[in-house]
Amino acid sequence: MVTSLLEQDIAKLIVQTLKLKVDPATIQSEAALFGDGLGLDSIDALELSLAISQTYGYQLKSSDPEIKAIFSSLRALAKAIEKNRTK
Amino acid sequence: MHDTPLIGPYNPDDVLAWEQGGPRTARQFLADVSRLVESLPDRPTVLNLATSRYEFLVGFAAAILRRQVTLLPQSRAPQTLRRVAGDYPDSYGLTDRDDTIEGIESVSIQPLRGRTAWPREIPRVPLNQLVAIAFTSGSTGQPMPNKKTWGALTAVAHATGARLGIKGGDRAAVVATVPHQHMFGLEASVMLPVMHGLVMHAGRPLFPADIRSALADVTGQRILVTTPLHLRACVTEGVRVPSGGLILSATAPLSRSLAQEAERHFQTKVHEIFGFAEAGSVAERRTVDGERWRPLDGVRVVQDEASWMVHAEYLPAPVPVPDRITVDAQGTFVVHGREADQVNVAGHRVSLGDLNQKLLEIDGVQDGVFFLPEEGSDLVTRLMAFVVAPRKTSEEIQRALRTHIDPVFLPRPLVCVPSLPRNETGKLPREAVSELARRWLERQGHGA
Repeated sequence: MVTSLLEQDIAKLIVQTLKLKVDPATIQSEAALFGDGLGLDSIDALELSLAISQTYGYQLKSSDPEIKAIFSSLRALAKAIEKNRTK
Repeated sequence: MHDTPLIGPYNPDDVLAWEQGGPRTARQFLADVSRLVESLPDRPTVLNLATSRYEFLVGFAAAILRRQVTLLPQSRAPQTLRRVAGDYPDSYGLTDRDDTIEGIESVSIQPLRGRTAWPREIPRVPLNQLVAIAFTSGSTGQPMPNKKTWGALTAVAHATGARLGIKGGDRAAVVATVPHQHMFGLEASVMLPVMHGLVMHAGRPLFPADIRSALADVTGQRILVTTPLHLRACVTEGVRVPSGGLILSATAPLSRSLAQEAERHFQTKVHEIFGFAEAGSVAERRTVDGERWRPLDGVRVVQDEASWMVHAEYLPAPVPVPDRITVDAQGTFVVHGREADQVNVAGHRVSLGDLNQKLLEIDGVQDGVFFLPEEGSDLVTRLMAFVVAPRKTSEEIQRALRTHIDPVFLPRPLVCVPSLPRNETGKLPREAVSELARRWLERQGHGA
């Protein structure tokens, strides 16, 4: 599947925020962000949540039953941001 | 006094903990404990992996009453758990979800529902009983056990409470972002509330919005037990703490400016605890008042031949301070930084020697070194690593490392190089690694 513009922006935000040594364009929409994929951890999740809140006005919550799904891939994260963004 | 009660001043129907499902009273807690006591296997040591702080406490208390020792590994990395279980082969696991750890027999903690009787008397625990072993990272790659008696844990809880002005019956509520399996978390988010009859929030909020809702779950004065990292996130996101409570931060030094900002923002005092797993909490300061740490009552920092030692009645022997410090005539001190081999990433302390050892154990790695760059403007400064492994990719090495070390220590980035700048004696001077890192960062465009 083709990567959407929002997905590309979020990929850039992830790489910039977390200073990853990858080209944002190579992050697959469906690949895992945490654990085996990009290998992110809970501190990354916290940093990323701040960047998402500042950029899109969407505050992530771990009590959200969907939180695991939201962080499962770039595509899922983009969908959640699309739905909840306030800026 | 050779033994003390398992919990502090609670009436039977006082709320002891706030769980997802609602409040748990002291009466329900004692019933949960006495039921679990019956179902624990007859083993000397237990790995309590409960994710709920309340259920961790139920498991911890039940183990204590069965005279079992709770093991507190440095991380939940599967390899670390198996290693600890291997060193204590008669261990079992306690979990509150359907978690299982491969190769370790596990019992699940299930709180009772419904009304229960108040016991005729609160169980008592001998002060000299060994109740926990906290592991720290040693320079040889072997985790080092640090034994904690009931007397040590209760003394630290009372000394911390006294210093912060917490009185029994205040009924303040403790909300914590730190893990309860770590030494500071155990002391400040479990023992501190339970010894003072306070309410303990069972959650471990991560995101600012989670912290906001955990603080809203409870009533009365709030005590937020946290780290500079979470505090920065809360200030950035505008989380409010109802005024009148206090904030207790530890695990990494809090900057004066962040403390000032947090005090202004939350309209509350920000205190810090200085401690380390070997000794537990040692000293306190209100960060905005200055850089000097005041030892907790009953604690003295005394110079030995080679290093500074923490003395306290509850410590079986004096414990060396792992930082470079200077102490004044009143016994207060200033911390200047870690001793050479020790680094702190997001509040987790580790020996670089230990990490290097684990790197070298990976198949295909010929040489390698971890390095902590100078602190930048990020929330957390991560480690980097330089590795010589001609037939491996950095992804393969990262994957192998992930099963051996806490994810927080995974290098960002892991750089494969043809060789390391070792000198003629085979040593790798810190300056040479630092230069290698500087050149690499410059090439990446991150440098100055």
